[in-house]
Amino acid sequence: MLEFVFLTITLATPLILGAMGGYTSERGGVINIGLEGLMLMAACITALVSPGQGPVVGLLAGIASATFLSLLHWLATQHYRIDQVISGMAINALAAGGTNFLYGKFNDPSRVGGIPALPDDLYKYSAFLLPFALALYVQRSRGGLRLLAVGSDPDKARLMGVAPIRVRLLGLLATGVFTGLAGAMLVSETGVFTDNMTAGRGYIALAALILGGWRPIPTFLACVAFGFFSALRLRLQGTPILGAELPSEVWASLPYVVTIIALAGFLGRNRTPAGLGKH
Amino acid sequence: MNWRLPALIVGILAVLFVALTLAKVNPIDVVTTLLKGSLGTPAAISATLRETTPLLILGLAVFLALRAGLFNIGAEGQFVVGALAGTAVILRIPGPAGIVLGMLFGALFGALWALPAGWIKAYRNGHEVITTIMLNNVAALMTTALVAGPFKDPKQGSPTTAVIDPSSRIPNLYSNPPVNLNATLLLGLLMALGLAYWLRKTVAGYELQAVGANSTAARFAGVDPRRVTLRAMSASGGIAGLAGALQVMAFEGRFYANFSPGYGFNALGVALLAGGNPLGVLPASFLFGMLEKGGTSMQISGVPKGLTTVLLGMLILIAAAIRYRRVRVVA
Repeated sequence: MLEFVFLTITLATPLILGAMGGYTSERGGVINIGLEGLMLMAACITALVSPGQGPVVGLLAGIASATFLSLLHWLATQHYRIDQVISGMAINALAAGGTNFLYGKFNDPSRVGGIPALPDDLYKYSAFLLPFALALYVQRSRGGLRLLAVGSDPDKARLMGVAPIRVRLLGLLATGVFTGLAGAMLVSETGVFTDNMTAGRGYIALAALILGGWRPIPTFLACVAFGFFSALRLRLQGTPILGAELPSEVWASLPYVVTIIALAGFLGRNRTPAGLGKH
Repeated sequence: MNWRLPALIVGILAVLFVALTLAKVNPIDVVTTLLKGSLGTPAAISATLRETTPLLILGLAVFLALRAGLFNIGAEGQFVVGALAGTAVILRIPGPAGIVLGMLFGALFGALWALPAGWIKAYRNGHEVITTIMLNNVAALMTTALVAGPFKDPKQGSPTTAVIDPSSRIPNLYSNPPVNLNATLLLGLLMALGLAYWLRKTVAGYELQAVGANSTAARFAGVDPRRVTLRAMSASGGIAGLAGALQVMAFEGRFYANFSPGYGFNALGVALLAGGNPLGVLPASFLFGMLEKGGTSMQISGVPKGLTTVLLGMLILIAAAIRYRRVRVVA
C-alpha cells in the first residue's frame, strides 16, 4: 500500500513540475504547447552533461537548456508576434530533432552504468511544495498579481503601467526552470535517456493545467490524480477486470479523454485566462 | 523595424552552425547529402515524391482549417484513424469497390475524429489546439490497442493488420522499379486545384475564409461562424482521414502500430509555408518531402536524422516570422 503511494508520487512529480511550468507561462497569457519539448531537451542535456561534470552541473545545464528554449518562445511570440501555437509547435520540433541529433552525436556509448543523478527526493519535495508556494506568490505578491493582470487583460495591464512583455519574460523564465527540473527528474528516475522519453508527459501536464482551471493547487491535484491512475495501470496490468483484460492503452488515454470532456464544459465553468493568446 | 527579420534568420543559422561545428559535422556535406539523397537519382526523386504525397494531402487538410482560422494540429490523429478505418474496410471488400469504400470510410472516420474538436471550438469556446492534441494522443493509443487486438493479423508477431489484396491497391501511373509514380500524387494535385477553386469561386468557400479573416464581421454579414467552424474542422478531418486510407492503399498495404512518422505535424509546417494560396501547398510539401527523404540518406552517412526535424522547426519559425512581420509591436 505504502509502496503504491510512493509510486503515485514518483509518477506525479514530473507532471507537477511540468504543469507548474505551464502555469507561469499560460497564467501570464502565453499559450505553451512546447512543455513537452522543454522537458525533453532538459532530460537530454542533463543526461549528456551529468556523466562528465557531475549531477549538479548536469541539472543546471538541463535547466539552462529548457530556459533557452523557453526564452526562444518569448522572443518569437512577444517580439516577433509569431502565433503562440506555431511557436510552440516549432519548439517541440526543435527539441525532438535536437535531442535526437545531440544525443546521437555526443553520447559516449562505451560508458557503463546509469547516469549519475541527484536523489529523487529533491525533485519530489520541490514538486509537492511548488504549487503552494506559487499559489501564495500569485495571490499575495506584487509580481504575482501582475502576472494575473497580464494574463487576464494585457491592454488593461498596459493602462496600469505594467508591461506584459516584461512580466511574461519572468513567467517564461520560470517555465524554463520548472520544466527543466521535470526533465532532469525523468533522467534521475530512470538513469538513462532515450529518444522521445517524455512520451507525452508535457501534454498530460498541459491537460492537468486545463483541468485545474489554470490554478496551482487544483492543477497539482489533477497531476496527482493522473499519477494515481498511471500507478494503478502499472499495478493492474495483466489483471482481468469484469472478466476481460483492459488494454493498457485505454488506461493511458484516460487523462486525455477527461481533458476533452472538461474542455467541452461538462466539468464546471470555463476558467481559461481571458488574455490567453492575446498581445 | 527592418532589422528584426534578418536578425532572426542570422541568429537561427548561427545556432545551427555552432551546433554542427561542435558535433564535427560539415554543414556543406549536410546540404549536399540532403540534395543528393532527395533529388540525385531518378529513384531518389521517386522516393521523395512518395514522401511528398501524404504531406500534400494532409497539408491541404490543415490549410483548409487554417483559412477558417483553425489550427488543426489533429491531422496526425485523423490520419491514423482514417488509415485504420480504411484498412478495415478494404480487408473485407477487395477490388475497386473496396478502394472507393475504403476512401469513403477513411474520410468519414477522419471527419468524425475531428468533430469533437470542431464542436467544442464552435459551441463551447474550447481551444481547438488543446482538444486536437488530446485527440491525437487518444488516436495513437486506440489504434495501437486495436491493431494489437481485434484487427491484428494472427499470422504476424508484431501489431499489424493483414496485407490488403493486390486488387485493392491504387495503381502506379508509371512503374519501372525502383522508379514509381503513384496515381495518388495526381489525386493530390487535383485536390489542390479543387480546393483553390472551391475557396475562390463558391459561396461556402468565401464564407469559410470570411470567418477565418474576421468572425465578428462574418456574423454581421449573415454567416453563422459556429456552423462554418464545425464544417471546416470536419472537412479538414475528412481530408486527413482520406490521406490515411490512401496511404494504406497506395504505399503501405497494411496498417500497423505507429503508422505515421509525424506526417500530421509536418503538415502544419507545410500549410504555414504555403502562405495564403492552396497551390502553395504543392512546393511546400515537396520541400518537406525532400527533407524527409534526404534525412534518411543523411542518417545513413552518420548524421542523426533529428537534424532534419530541427531544420523543419527553424523553417516554421522563419515562415511564421515573415507571415506576422507586419504586426505592430506594443511594449
